[in-house]
Amino acid sequence: MQFNPETIDASFYDQLREHYSESEIVELGVFIGFNVGYHTFFRTLDFYPMFTPDGRLVSQSESRAIYGDEPVSHLSDHIQASISETQS
Amino acid sequence: MIEPVTTIPGSLEASFIRLGDADASFVRVLAHVPKYAEAVWGAMAESLFEGGVDVSLKEMMRIQLAVLANDPYFSNLRSRVAIEAGLSEERISAALGDFGNDPQFSDGEKWALSYAYLMYREPERVDTAFYDEGKKYWSEAQIVEMGGLLAVHYGMAVLMSTLAPANG
Repeated sequence: MQFNPETIDASFYDQLREHYSESEIVELGVFIGFNVGYHTFFRTLDFYPMFTPDGRLVSQSESRAIYGDEPVSHLSDHIQASISETQS
Repeated sequence: MIEPVTTIPGSLEASFIRLGDADASFVRVLAHVPKYAEAVWGAMAESLFEGGVDVSLKEMMRIQLAVLANDPYFSNLRSRVAIEAGLSEERISAALGDFGNDPQFSDGEKWALSYAYLMYREPERVDTAFYDEGKKYWSEAQIVEMGGLLAVHYGMAVLMSTLAPANG
């Protein structure tokens, strides 16, 4: 959808229908459409999370230093901890 | 493709006509998920018709993005509200052309049209300096309003370019 929308043609939708209802396909399309639109816009605004992973309110410059320019999941540690707890 | 549904809520159809689409094809496609149809159209209408930026300027920005998305449906659609406000086809064509050197546009309008032009072509050029330039002409609220317009309408134009039976 974002990089090669011209490849999403009738045969692509026919293939989707093997797995999803028309309502679900529309739902997916709207979700993707909003994300395509908003993430590019948000990226230009150059803003960072207001809170650190441990919940501390920080300035934008401090937040930039913590999170950097590449997208990362600051929840990954918590997710990993949750998985470890489940497995133990 | 996804076939439009034949029946949509009357209130939704009436509101969509403001965009100039009597058969409401877009909403009829989205109406496979009625709550989505209302929410999506609500966001699109709000960003286009409401706020503190002239609707004619936003209409030109919207059409720019629909053309970029290669979506004939939204490219050819004309907002009834904008037309009634005096927006002409000549001015729309100018906005799709060399608007940066066109004296009919103010500096603020040129910045706004550049904002739409660059956002999904060269977003890396929409940087701090670009926003600082925009703040000479527009308030932060107006800039956010324009950015939201771009995000909603571009995303839905891309979706429509793949969905609409007329596009297939």
